[in-house]
Amino acid sequence: MSATRVSTTSVRAEMALLLDVGSAWAKAGVIGRVRGRWRLVAHAAQPTAWGSTALRRALVDQLAASADPRLADHLDDLIADANRIECHTARRPARLAIVAVSREMSGSAARRGAEAAGWHVVEAVTLDDGRTLADRLGTLQSAEVDAWLIAGGFDGSRSPRALEAAALVAAARRSGGGPVVWAGSSALADEVIGLFEPGAASAVANPRPDARHEEPAALRARLAELLRDAVIPEDETHLSSVSFPRAVGALASATGLRILGVDLGARAATRVLAEPDGTVASRVHARGGLAGTVLAPGAAARVARLAGDAGDEAAVADLLQTLRAWPSTLPQTPEELSATQAAARVQLAGILEESVAGPLDLVIGAGRTIGAAPHPAQAARMLLDGVRPIGVTQLAVDAAAVLGPLGSLPDDEIREGLSLLGDDLLVPLGTAVVCRGGEAGRVAMRVTVHRSGWPSQAPIEVRAGQLQVVPLPRGQEAEITIEPLGGATLGGPRRSPRIQANVTGGAVGLMLDARGVPIALPKRGDDRREMLAGWRDTLMREAAQGSERVA
Amino acid sequence: MSVVHRVRLPAGASPMVEVGNHVEPADVLATRRAPRGGVSLPVALPLRRSAAEAARCLVARPGEHLDAGAILAEDDRWRQVRVPEACILLGYDLDDGSAMIAPLSGSEPVLGHVRGEVVSLEPDAIELRVTGALVTGVGGSGDAVHGELRVAVHEPGAELPASAIDVGATGRIIVGGSRASAETLTRARAMGVAGIVLGGVLDKELRDFEATQLRRREIGGVRGDFAVILLEGFGKVGFDPGLFAWFRVHEGRMASLFGEAARLYVYDAGPPPLRRVLPLPGDRVIAHRRPHAGQGGELVRVLDRLHAFASGVVGRAALVRFEDGHTAIVPLANLEATEPLTGD
Repeated sequence: MSATRVSTTSVRAEMALLLDVGSAWAKAGVIGRVRGRWRLVAHAAQPTAWGSTALRRALVDQLAASADPRLADHLDDLIADANRIECHTARRPARLAIVAVSREMSGSAARRGAEAAGWHVVEAVTLDDGRTLADRLGTLQSAEVDAWLIAGGFDGSRSPRALEAAALVAAARRSGGGPVVWAGSSALADEVIGLFEPGAASAVANPRPDARHEEPAALRARLAELLRDAVIPEDETHLSSVSFPRAVGALASATGLRILGVDLGARAATRVLAEPDGTVASRVHARGGLAGTVLAPGAAARVARLAGDAGDEAAVADLLQTLRAWPSTLPQTPEELSATQAAARVQLAGILEESVAGPLDLVIGAGRTIGAAPHPAQAARMLLDGVRPIGVTQLAVDAAAVLGPLGSLPDDEIREGLSLLGDDLLVPLGTAVVCRGGEAGRVAMRVTVHRSGWPSQAPIEVRAGQLQVVPLPRGQEAEITIEPLGGATLGGPRRSPRIQANVTGGAVGLMLDARGVPIALPKRGDDRREMLAGWRDTLMREAAQGSERVA
Repeated sequence: MSVVHRVRLPAGASPMVEVGNHVEPADVLATRRAPRGGVSLPVALPLRRSAAEAARCLVARPGEHLDAGAILAEDDRWRQVRVPEACILLGYDLDDGSAMIAPLSGSEPVLGHVRGEVVSLEPDAIELRVTGALVTGVGGSGDAVHGELRVAVHEPGAELPASAIDVGATGRIIVGGSRASAETLTRARAMGVAGIVLGGVLDKELRDFEATQLRRREIGGVRGDFAVILLEGFGKVGFDPGLFAWFRVHEGRMASLFGEAARLYVYDAGPPPLRRVLPLPGDRVIAHRRPHAGQGGELVRVLDRLHAFASGVVGRAALVRFEDGHTAIVPLANLEATEPLTGD
């Protein structure tokens, strides 16, 4: 990584500014050389609307307390002149109209594909939506969109309904009114493309080739390409939705770990699956951020149910609207924080609805709600409940929001940047062991923890529905033996009755989670609240060394 | 002061105004011919061909706009199928050899719902300069409406009661307070109120109201337009006292309200109290989140160090003396500076 060298009369300072400018919050970190090592020496976050001067002032205030006194008068200039490594969210959402034959089949597949590619669906019309033809055409004629997506008909069929969907777009769209993507029956592709002026329409592989299969990859890739070409003509490497996956990919490649990264922003969310060979698959969910929670059907009831202590559904509904209307505000009361974090868990579960196949080595949480959670246990809970990583998985957070900026560096510098920051890069929360299945009330897994230099301990029995935490501080390692019981499984093929794994500690410790996938909650409100409070307390409670916490 | 308002034109609309024209809220800016329901038009039968052969005789493409009498299909023997009225071709049925067309209605008006001067004409929009003030909200519901402003509560934090909606409110835009129940909203609509301006409303009550209106519209029981705008937040959230005082000053002025877009234009009005992020000591502020949502006060000082709030969240904080007399430490991110009340 390059760094700016600034001369003063008596001392020199080497520093760089890592900047992540989100739609609601701007996060900045200053890295500088401390005794020969690059360290994160200051970090600040503030509403983006406050502007760069306030952000620089906050960084200067932090540095003034620890920097060489001879630099005190020059800190502002040093930061202003420092090498800026910056990423930001897209200036405005890309708007898409979808016209499909059926809401449940082609329409839902098209919508999922579009949202997973980062598009904001502003109009969705299907031929079975109950509206009159005049209403549909009127809606589409008034739509203000950047692109159009048409879907319908299984491959090989010549569905007249699919052609009718295409004709609706041809009738409603002005000539030159944005690109059109046909994601329907391959047999109709030429005919549909012919409805529009030359070059306006293109076809991709049908995301719903038949009634049983959904193959959205080609549609997602085409829409992501369209997003870059047609709507965001800026340097894409500085977009957070691109730079965050690049950084996670470089980290996976450098560590040989299979990593899932989730960046939960104010408006959008990004999920990244990076393989040890550096292969990266990422998706941007346009409505996946906290502000999008209110748009999900039944979200208020779900958040109220999951939070347990955030008030009734009506109060939570108001909070979710507040998150949309004032995304850069902070939760001041415990109830507001609880609801906000429950909303984060709901959104994480939503963007991971299409689950990740195979075990994960590391889950990284990013975004202000997760990365800046007041207590590491709260971040761990959002990741555990939202992702449900089955198996043995390390959890960590990008607390200083450095992954996005580092991912905006040229390819050959990302890895160098990651290694330079070392321990300052991520905050490890610990390791989670998550199983699914098991009989209610019975032991779901028996775990033995061996720590070098520690006396042997009795195995820990975790019952189905229980969450236990074993203290294992940051930097400590342990070897565990897991014995799944009563039909419980850790996801992988069962070759042995016992599974050995090496685990590392963190701010929370070793989390033994037999709550199932998805988590089953009691129907009775009082029972549910008691159970949720028990899990919360288990994760939050300061653990005495050598004793486990049980809920 | 003036602001530019953009009226989006649906595809196929024809402008009826020119740059420099002055328009009123009810004036027609453009006309369009909206499609009616689809009808089937035989093609194969008049051509005396099979459905598949007739398909090859089509001279129009699906999606194409056709004038009355335009040729839809013709064969090599000069037999023709013409459309009886202006329409859009939507498709062709290979099973029965008929075309699906959507006849276009007579000319329908596109209203601007604002008073102003036309400053630009584009294929997809007309821009108007509006002489007046623009107040933007955080949410809303309903269509574009216009009417005189009438303040119906005495305090910025008071709820708008159903009893405040009387015959004198008909056709007006009512400035309420911190909340209006679904019952109040329903009564307002029934009484012919054009729109309601609120500090806040419970999201659930607004959704309940919208659901009942949708249902009534489906069964044909609702006529006329109605809109709601929320200026401060969701829940029981009072007005910023400064903004409330501004509305009182402008009571009786004509206004245009765009519910879905959360925009309110008040004509011939001075600027509303300005808002500014990152308030400073001495500023009058408004809080945006519970437990102080909608409360106004004075920022006494910004704390030197980061503060841990009851939630555990750590951030920059300010000591605020609220107008009810109590003081509290509030996240600076939850505050906006507002201009002082008139006469302060």
